[in-house]
Amino acid sequence: MMKKITRLAALLAALALLIPTGCRRKSDDGTVTLKVWGSGEDQAMLGEMIEEFKKANAEEGKTYNITLGVVGEDEAKTRVLEDPAAAGDLFAFSDDQMMDLYNAGALYEITRNKDTIMIENNEGSVKAASVGDALYAYPITADNGYFLYYDSRVLSAEDVQTLDGLLAAANRAGKRVYMDVSNGWYNSAFFLGAGCKLGLTDKGKQTCDFNNQNGVNAGKAIKAFCADPAFVTGNDAVLTGGIGTTICAGVSGTWNAEAIKEKLGSGYAAVKLPTFTCGGVQMQMASFAGYKLMGVNSATKHPVEAMKLAEFLTNEENQIKRFETRAIGPSNLKAAASEAVKSNVALAALAQQNAYGVTQREVLSSTWDPLEAFGTAMEAKSYSRTVEELLNTMVQQITA
Amino acid sequence: MTLVKQRHSRQKGGLLRTMLTALREGDLATRLSFLLMGCGCLFHGQIGRGVLYLAAQILFLLYLIFFGAPHLMKFTTLGTETQHRVFDEEEGIYLITAGDNSMEILLFSVVTLVLIVVFLRLYASNIRAAWEAQSARCKGNPLPTFRDDLISLTDRRYHALLLTPPVILVFIFTVLPLVFMVLIAFTNFDKAHQPPGNLFTWVGLENFRNLFSGSGQTSTTFFRLFGWTVVWAIFATFLNYLLGMAVALMINKRGIRAKGLWRTLFVIPIAVPQFVTLLLMSQLLSSEGTGGAFNVLLQQLGLIQSPIPFLSDGTLAKITVIVVNIWIGIPYTILITSGILMNIPEDMYESARIDGAGPFRTFFSITLPYMLFVTTPYLITQFVGNFNNFNVIYLLTGGGPLSLDYFQAGKTDLLVTWLYKQTVDQQNYNLASTIGIIVFLVSAGLSLLVYNSSASARKEEQFQ
Amino acid sequence: MTVGYRARRRTANATIYFLLAVLGILWVLPIVYLVILSLRGESGAYLPYLLPKNWSLDNYRRLFTDTTLFNYPRWYMNTLIVSVCTCLLSTLLVLSVSYTFSRLRFSSRRKFMNTGLILGMFPGFMTMIAVYHLLKVLGLAQSLVALILVYSAGSCMGYFIAKGYFDTIPRSLDEAATLDGATRHQIFFRITLPMSTPILAYTALTAFMVPWTDFIFVSVIMKDNYQNYTLALGLYQMVTKENIYRYFTAFCAGSVLVAIPVTLLFLRLQKYYVEGVTGGAVKG
Repeated sequence: MMKKITRLAALLAALALLIPTGCRRKSDDGTVTLKVWGSGEDQAMLGEMIEEFKKANAEEGKTYNITLGVVGEDEAKTRVLEDPAAAGDLFAFSDDQMMDLYNAGALYEITRNKDTIMIENNEGSVKAASVGDALYAYPITADNGYFLYYDSRVLSAEDVQTLDGLLAAANRAGKRVYMDVSNGWYNSAFFLGAGCKLGLTDKGKQTCDFNNQNGVNAGKAIKAFCADPAFVTGNDAVLTGGIGTTICAGVSGTWNAEAIKEKLGSGYAAVKLPTFTCGGVQMQMASFAGYKLMGVNSATKHPVEAMKLAEFLTNEENQIKRFETRAIGPSNLKAAASEAVKSNVALAALAQQNAYGVTQREVLSSTWDPLEAFGTAMEAKSYSRTVEELLNTMVQQITA
Repeated sequence: MTLVKQRHSRQKGGLLRTMLTALREGDLATRLSFLLMGCGCLFHGQIGRGVLYLAAQILFLLYLIFFGAPHLMKFTTLGTETQHRVFDEEEGIYLITAGDNSMEILLFSVVTLVLIVVFLRLYASNIRAAWEAQSARCKGNPLPTFRDDLISLTDRRYHALLLTPPVILVFIFTVLPLVFMVLIAFTNFDKAHQPPGNLFTWVGLENFRNLFSGSGQTSTTFFRLFGWTVVWAIFATFLNYLLGMAVALMINKRGIRAKGLWRTLFVIPIAVPQFVTLLLMSQLLSSEGTGGAFNVLLQQLGLIQSPIPFLSDGTLAKITVIVVNIWIGIPYTILITSGILMNIPEDMYESARIDGAGPFRTFFSITLPYMLFVTTPYLITQFVGNFNNFNVIYLLTGGGPLSLDYFQAGKTDLLVTWLYKQTVDQQNYNLASTIGIIVFLVSAGLSLLVYNSSASARKEEQFQ
Repeated sequence: MTVGYRARRRTANATIYFLLAVLGILWVLPIVYLVILSLRGESGAYLPYLLPKNWSLDNYRRLFTDTTLFNYPRWYMNTLIVSVCTCLLSTLLVLSVSYTFSRLRFSSRRKFMNTGLILGMFPGFMTMIAVYHLLKVLGLAQSLVALILVYSAGSCMGYFIAKGYFDTIPRSLDEAATLDGATRHQIFFRITLPMSTPILAYTALTAFMVPWTDFIFVSVIMKDNYQNYTLALGLYQMVTKENIYRYFTAFCAGSVLVAIPVTLLFLRLQKYYVEGVTGGAVKG
């Protein structure tokens, strides 16, 4: 008998907990509530920008209630897709998440001032933010790529032109050259440089020709690089830990600029990636030109205001502010043209490398693991299967 | 209302029969209970109980109308309305109308279905309560008051009081999500069918077919990882167990001093949170660059020329994770086994010694059987825990080194870590859930079998 | 003969002392190194040498002063709150469940026990997103309460060690009390619990440790609510690609500060832990 009562109480409790959902959160009195997601490091800066925005838009008779949330660019896709309704109205993300977010219908197409945005930002960043002719995000930065840092006290500008020269000089000096080859993002530099392509089919499936003759040549170049005594791999901590002492050059991006500058001091230098010997010919190493973008959540309640804010947060003035505060490379053409940006060693090298940059927007997240597996095999010098065989398996997995 | 009678009505089919009898022979109040719950109780003066029944019915109906039904109606299709948009010339933007969200439909349908089942049970019990009240009234027996009911909760029905809160919590946080996850395995919820922009729908057993007979890559990877998972679970469980016992035996050997100090030394690693020690270990054992501290040490001692790839060579990494797991796991075994060792009756050893048994024979004929007898439940927990040991693998190697022999997986990936990558990195929810079901069936079946046939389960009645 | 035996025992003991010393060092060394790293002045994760060239307490100071990016004190408090509440709630729940299964007899007891046993085996994170959405419906998403509920609910299934303990307490005590007119509630609280300090301590300790280790669940539940992070997630963020150079040593310092209270607690309750998990065997 009592079981009934407890069961009853249980049901009541469960119901009471479940019911209040329907009638929650309604605020329609001219208050615009928006949430912006950005990385932890950006919070203070974003806060200042938002205050500016509120000041600039004070007269409209709307009250803005803008909050900040900490979700890094690399995590944005995961967090947004888990629950788009609770995600930021605006969120910063790196452009390799673009297609996944677009396919999931999480992005709001940008139509307000579309032309201005497209003209003011560099071509690569606009392309990264578009699907076909439609624009789906606001470019924030153009510095999510990689290039070569080196110690100018050990290596000459001549040495760093070719990978062979670089390795020879490093070996002479008894130092190492760093590149994270067991990482698809970096080792693609060889394949893309050899003229291979990653693309998407109409149905959104990955295409990849890294197992053609060029790809095999690139694969062999990777093999040779990994077998060189001067070669060293690892995560970023290896580079920042060893540069200046055991390491004389390394492939990395702007996020390490500060640490490397601190370690190298007067020897601090950066340049585009070297050329490498590919089937007997010198080929320029390519790279992914990555961008950080600001997306507007398709579930936002205030699309107009959200777009206004996103436009403001990514305009010329604020891109300059980003550069000044955190040395982030602007995608805005005018901001990028400033003397200060041009004289920034890392950003200058990046700009140089971007001439050989390939957009990573057409790379699906399932592509990275097979590429990494190939790099891992080369680093481990496990040659039980030929480069051709490995690349065939790799391409098969990438295009699966 | 006597105990005998209550037992009677609780027998199989009793509930339904009672309901029929109540419908045939019940008075107005009892029959009204079919429409309005709690009527019977209210008419017969059981106010508290009646009010609860009535409130439950009202709340349930409200829930069903405003929340449950709208989701449940779309359960068969999981939604038909996709997200769509129209261009608003005035603002210059598209206005987006949200479509159906398949995931929410599925989840809240599950919630609603479960609540309906619970409600039906309650509904039946309401009829029975009314009928019992009526028959008791006829016979002139006193009815239990609400107070009596509450008091019986602390005594005769104490189990109901104790079990209700945990059962509610487990239902909300384990059972409901679990049913949801199981159902996902029968849908096409993957990257291409990701809400809010897309719908997913039922596909029957297709995912299972794909996994076992499909293109090859996935199923090969599944079976290879499954093999490694079993090997890992066996090593991680039994090696830790035996080695821990060995250390405990050493500490507890007669004539060894400072037992407390030794034990404390081994216990310290337990107290540092596991994710810290694991992250630290992966740093120390790294072979990248000049290597982590361990490799630097070996190089400075002149033992090796270049770093040993503890974590980046497939075979070595497998050994490393098992060894590091020993470092992490042994302290627990030491604690536990040394407690038990102290309690093995000394005369058992005495008689063995008289029989001329050496230390090894004593260990295998006395110590080990005794240990196994006491620690079977612990071992099962450990084995299943290791089967699903996410933390050690994820934090130590991240499943790596990746290999082209596997599909989106590395040499040390367990099924669970592979599963995690499939959901978080690849959004292959349906595949992950299919694998999850298999992992679950294996570990659940295994442990039920072992647990129920173990001495510990049989021992249960020994004291009663 | 006796001399030979004694000599043999002495060499045996010497070997054991040696082995224990070697193993002991191996077990404590990583922890000692963690402390050393936390005192290192140079930043970065890998260095080509072992011992720091500069020693400093700066890493510890930074944890409490430099809180804009990593709000260590706040996260420490969060974790403490969640730990203590989880500890209380889940001890109550686990002991209720195990006592019920051990001492009370009712029709579907076996069914409940087996269900509980197997439910605990489903890989928990598989259901994280579903759990998140349920919490959201309950209005609890992104709150510390959510963590407490989820951890406690998860612990309910781990009842068998405590049940094993209760199984060993003689039933005759209950029967005597029943004859004296005690209700089952009174028996549980006045007779059984006071005899169960070890299992109480074991259960509490196990529950207390959970929030210090989980970081995946927290990240799904908290999402952008930075203020409600727990330490595990916060510390984990310190060693991501962007932060590891700057914050690795701070991570070590933060870890040491976590380890200190837990270690003290553990050392104090060690005895009970052993008695609890080994159940009646210890009391023989």
